Amino acid sequence: MLSKGPAKRVTIFVNEDTRHGTEPLWRAVFDLLVHKRAAGASVTRPAMGFGSHHKVHSPDMEATMEHLPVRIEFIDAPEKVEELLPTLYDLVTDGMIDVQDTTIVKVAQKEKKPQAKVPHSRTAGAARLLRIFLGEADKWHGEPLYDAIVKKLRMEDIAGATVYKAILGYGAKGHTHKGQSFLHLAHDSPVMISVVDSAVKIKQAVEIAEGMLQDGLVVISDVDIIRLAHPSPMMEVADAGNAAR
Amino acid sequence: MPETQRGKLLRIHVSEHDRFDGKPLYEAIVQKCREMKIAGATVFKGLEGYGRTAEIHRSHLIGHDQPILITIVDSDSQVRKLIPILDDMLDTGLMSVSDVEVMRFQRSLPDQHT
Repeated sequence: MLSKGPAKRVTIFVNEDTRHGTEPLWRAVFDLLVHKRAAGASVTRPAMGFGSHHKVHSPDMEATMEHLPVRIEFIDAPEKVEELLPTLYDLVTDGMIDVQDTTIVKVAQKEKKPQAKVPHSRTAGAARLLRIFLGEADKWHGEPLYDAIVKKLRMEDIAGATVYKAILGYGAKGHTHKGQSFLHLAHDSPVMISVVDSAVKIKQAVEIAEGMLQDGLVVISDVDIIRLAHPSPMMEVADAGNAAR
Repeated sequence: MPETQRGKLLRIHVSEHDRFDGKPLYEAIVQKCREMKIAGATVFKGLEGYGRTAEIHRSHLIGHDQPILITIVDSDSQVRKLIPILDDMLDTGLMSVSDVEVMRFQRSLPDQHT
């Protein structure tokens, strides 16, 4: 199972009718990936193509129907790609192999618990508490800024964030925020986001907040985590099974 | 990570019905902070709580008496100046101070969001 982070994307371009022994070359490449337990691979047939011979291959006309292109693509961890490349290099006698650096942002499996939801490994002990002060009306590309920050923190696997709405306050903007006044339609209550995680993760969270805050205040303090609730044991068993694959 | 400064975070726990000079205590505290040019103050309302007087603070049908938390962040010297003044204003209540690292962001003009 792939995990979030840096990875490599390998694309192999071959002709449909290039053979490897008795089977098509694309099939041989695909079988190799299955056999070597690559994280996944897909074979696609582009509508048209041309290669080093500058001859267009397309299924439209009988004259151009031979040597149709086939594209095999897979994404895997850099170590796995390093392991597979020498074999692929030997195997592809006619075609092209291209490797690109890529970043896996999300790996989700429908029936299983998504990778991102694996129980947090943070345990009781020293940690840091981050408080971000901002305004409720602050916007980030049209959506509430506090919402956007929390979403981004979630994407980066920060342990947790809580948004508090205040009833009164003043700060960076110099004006008094007063929420929920009966006649005020434009609400700009002060809002605070609090985040607790390890020092490393809090540093990451600060960088996220720094990139998104217009004006506001970021405060960090040292805290001790006393207790961290874990998901139910059943879910942990399911995850263990997932990890064993 | 941007540069951080050392600062203090002051938290004041009071009750919503506490009054000072005829207005809510938390409003008086925020006003005092403004007068003293404290960098900022934020007032939060708690859902439920209890404190030194051992009575449960909770929203009732008639009258509200919910817990109030005021959070103030500023430099050590500013917070030190503020504490004795607030101490005089508080009857019952709690103040706590902790060490924090502070980062300030101010990218828009102060009067842009009025």
